[in-house]
Amino acid sequence: MRLVDIKDLTVSFPQTEGLVQAVRGLTLHVAPGESLGIVGESGSGKSVTCMAVLRLLREPPARIAAERLELAGVDMRKADRRQLASMRGSVAAMIFQDPMTAFDPVFTIGHQIAETIRAHRAVSKSEAMAEAEDLLARVRIKAPKAVLQSYPHQLSGGMLQRAMIAMALSSRPQILFADEPTTALDVTIQAQILQLIKEIQAEYGMGLIMVTHDLGVVAETVDRVVVMYGGRVMEEGPVQEIFDAAAHPYTQALLGSIPGRVAGRQRLTEIKGASPNPAHPPSGCPFHPRCPVAEPRCAAEVPALAPFAPARAAACWRVA
Amino acid sequence: MTAPLLAPALELRGIGRTFRLREKGGLFARYTDHVAVRDVDLVLPRNAILGLVGESGSGKTTTGMMALRLLEPTTGRILVDGQDITALDPAALKPFRRRMQVVFQDSYSAIDPMMTLAQVVAEPLHIHGQGSRAGQTEAALAMLERVGLDRRYGSRYAHELSGGQRQRVAIARALILRPQVLVADEPTSALDVSVKAQIINLLMDLQAEMGLSILFISHDLSVVRSLTDRVAVMWNGRVVEEAPTEAIFTDARHPYTRSLLEAIPVLNPRLRRARSFPTRAEIEAQTPRLPAIPGLAAGATPQLVAEGDRRYEAIVGGVVGGIGGAATPEATIP
Amino acid sequence: MIRYILGRLASIALTFFVVSVIVFLMMHAVPGGPFDGNDMPVSAEVKAKLNANLGLDKPLYVQYLNYMGGVLRLDFGVPFQSPGETVLQLLGRAWPPSLILGGAGVLIGAPLGILLGMAAALNRNSWIDYLASAFATLGLTIPVFVTSMMLILVFAVWLNWLPASGWGKPHSWVLPILAYATIPMATYARYTRSAMLDVLNKPFVTVLRAKGLPERRIIFQHVLRNASLAMVTVFLPMFIGTATGSIFVEAMFRVPGLGAYFVSSIEQRDYPLEMALILIVTLMFCFAYLISDIAYALLNPRIRFGGGEK
Repeated sequence: MRLVDIKDLTVSFPQTEGLVQAVRGLTLHVAPGESLGIVGESGSGKSVTCMAVLRLLREPPARIAAERLELAGVDMRKADRRQLASMRGSVAAMIFQDPMTAFDPVFTIGHQIAETIRAHRAVSKSEAMAEAEDLLARVRIKAPKAVLQSYPHQLSGGMLQRAMIAMALSSRPQILFADEPTTALDVTIQAQILQLIKEIQAEYGMGLIMVTHDLGVVAETVDRVVVMYGGRVMEEGPVQEIFDAAAHPYTQALLGSIPGRVAGRQRLTEIKGASPNPAHPPSGCPFHPRCPVAEPRCAAEVPALAPFAPARAAACWRVA
Repeated sequence: MTAPLLAPALELRGIGRTFRLREKGGLFARYTDHVAVRDVDLVLPRNAILGLVGESGSGKTTTGMMALRLLEPTTGRILVDGQDITALDPAALKPFRRRMQVVFQDSYSAIDPMMTLAQVVAEPLHIHGQGSRAGQTEAALAMLERVGLDRRYGSRYAHELSGGQRQRVAIARALILRPQVLVADEPTSALDVSVKAQIINLLMDLQAEMGLSILFISHDLSVVRSLTDRVAVMWNGRVVEEAPTEAIFTDARHPYTRSLLEAIPVLNPRLRRARSFPTRAEIEAQTPRLPAIPGLAAGATPQLVAEGDRRYEAIVGGVVGGIGGAATPEATIP
Repeated sequence: MIRYILGRLASIALTFFVVSVIVFLMMHAVPGGPFDGNDMPVSAEVKAKLNANLGLDKPLYVQYLNYMGGVLRLDFGVPFQSPGETVLQLLGRAWPPSLILGGAGVLIGAPLGILLGMAAALNRNSWIDYLASAFATLGLTIPVFVTSMMLILVFAVWLNWLPASGWGKPHSWVLPILAYATIPMATYARYTRSAMLDVLNKPFVTVLRAKGLPERRIIFQHVLRNASLAMVTVFLPMFIGTATGSIFVEAMFRVPGLGAYFVSSIEQRDYPLEMALILIVTLMFCFAYLISDIAYALLNPRIRFGGGEK
């Protein structure tokens, strides 16, 4: 059984330049209890993919097309408003990048967690509050009662992100979508939140999709990785194998350009050029204009994501 | 270090800044003092890159802004080429402004969207009245080329550029006056991974070519490791450790530095491990303790102690023996 | 909170004093006096005598102190243009029609405008939004005397349902109030739409959706509450602004309201009336802002509880 099952997903937005495709024919899946990292730079389509699965994009303007778009066996393409609301927060929960803007500023944290609980289960207000306090304790908040009664502006970013995780856990979801959950936080807080997410995932036995631009986050948290670029999947595989021997030139270049891997002041291996403009994507493989080993064929034809070893796949003419 | 023949490019002596925070209360508000930076000594040597790291609220940006006198210090002195610029009036400061430039994280808001990039880059020349109009434009185009942008970008506007290209323009603008000191405040933090390396390389090349001295402010220790010669770590408005870059990464003395290093993600899934992070109280409790040092007052308050070419905060006197294998430091105050 | 309100009251008193001084000086700085008009041919002696009777020959500060002393006893003097009554009597006679016109106009226009703005924001970029926005833009750009004229044409001349002018029985109030209501309706619609859209674009609304709250609850509990924060500071003062009625609507429908006196008191150098009007309106605005600020503080926990800022 697959918890998340996406086949050939395309997400587009009409813009003045025409229809801009943020995600172009993406296929991925997550098994129950599995953790998947989606790595990509800005404009790679990684966040849009998550939002599309939960149908959180405003449609229109967004247009979603897919051969399959399933969450815990439910066809998300056909789900109506009611069904969507009952899936979100209960089957699948999501946490976001900036905890400072993720809470409604005029209600207490306790109120906002309790209303999530009550949206999915018939419990009294006071029961929901008691449960919220319990959840805050589970995300290792030392003074849950005080946090419960606090307004968002009274708490630090790290504390708010913990509270957001607590809120996400309130209905014991089968899968957690985490969209850059540590990017807005200080480095030491980042590491603590990542650790918390890992522990909670194991405790609850839930699936995890960790969306990030940071390969370090992936190395620390997930089992399997999908590398995205220009709205497409470039490479997919177990995390250890990707870090040991990346197959796609983009993944290789990305790993090579990470600073601080070796001692001493020295120049880094850089990737020339800039990420593609989604309004004018390059022909063929989206990475070919920046690829050090591109061939004429790469500009002409889009390479399909093809398996080349057990559990591994890459979209590159040179790998197949 | 051997005694330099020339004064350092930039020197901060005991610099500090206190902000008055207004508490809510309408007409009769109360104020509380918040010490953002306390008694910071920093030396930016010529022809070198000094990293200034810390988390939000550590005071690193405030320190950088004071070094440029974009923010007035409450205490302490700022020396450029050995000359004290702390109290100079705007007219007397102008020649020093030319010698010190800045690049910010958000280059988008720092570039006037109504100006062509050639105008943006040439503007400092114009302000300082250097050369003719044509000469200024030519110099700007040459500078754009030098930071890796083709000359035809001169007639474009900021919104036509990617984040990395805008950061190149910001660097070109900062360097067109051929400054000696560049303060770079998180210049790579908003950039994509694949572009970050380009900008780091560019800064490294320009530093070497132009003999620049760069104060590189960042929260990203990985970038700091690749780029800098020395690193100063700030915590709660103080410099708690300062040392050659590799010494920081391989042999940190202060518990806060160690917790920062602990937070760096390891790029090898095999080396995953649980980590623990000390609280503020724990960091204070773990501050190295050194035996009494001749010439240094003993006391319970941590103070910066020099040891070879490094400095770190320690509690001096009283307790015998050190934590973290601290060697016997030399009895000097930097 | 109490300290805050006391502080605000003190600043209102200061504002009131400053405004009174400035207006008093400005009125006297404009050359000419009440008896200089060509339509009032009086001899120099008579003029001097009249001026002396009214105290206009004394030094300015004495005139000011005399005047303000009266104001504190609610004595605003006698209007020059209508010496048979006091300023307060004149206001008591002319204000009610304006109050009814402005008040009823707002009470009808504001809720409609808010509903219109909400409908537009919730159906962004649909025909509802375009229709509502077009309506609001028309309401703001078409001069109110054109609206008035059209209403008169349709309901008074063609259909002959309602009187074209005057201010007698309540049915004569309908057309002026309708004409006037278009202004607050259009203004409130625009503010409401932009305040709602502002909140709808905030990240926390996406979070609310992601946690499975029904859309209805998101809008009525969260979005409206946050949008009202932005709206309350604008709406109350606007409400007061309309309580003085509309000069144009009053003129079009011959409503015997305050509007005419605003103009004539300035034209005819009617110092007592002019001062009274300005001072009363100033005071009303000050209190409107005070009330809206208190409402804002009560709605916004950041102000209620303070802290958190750096």
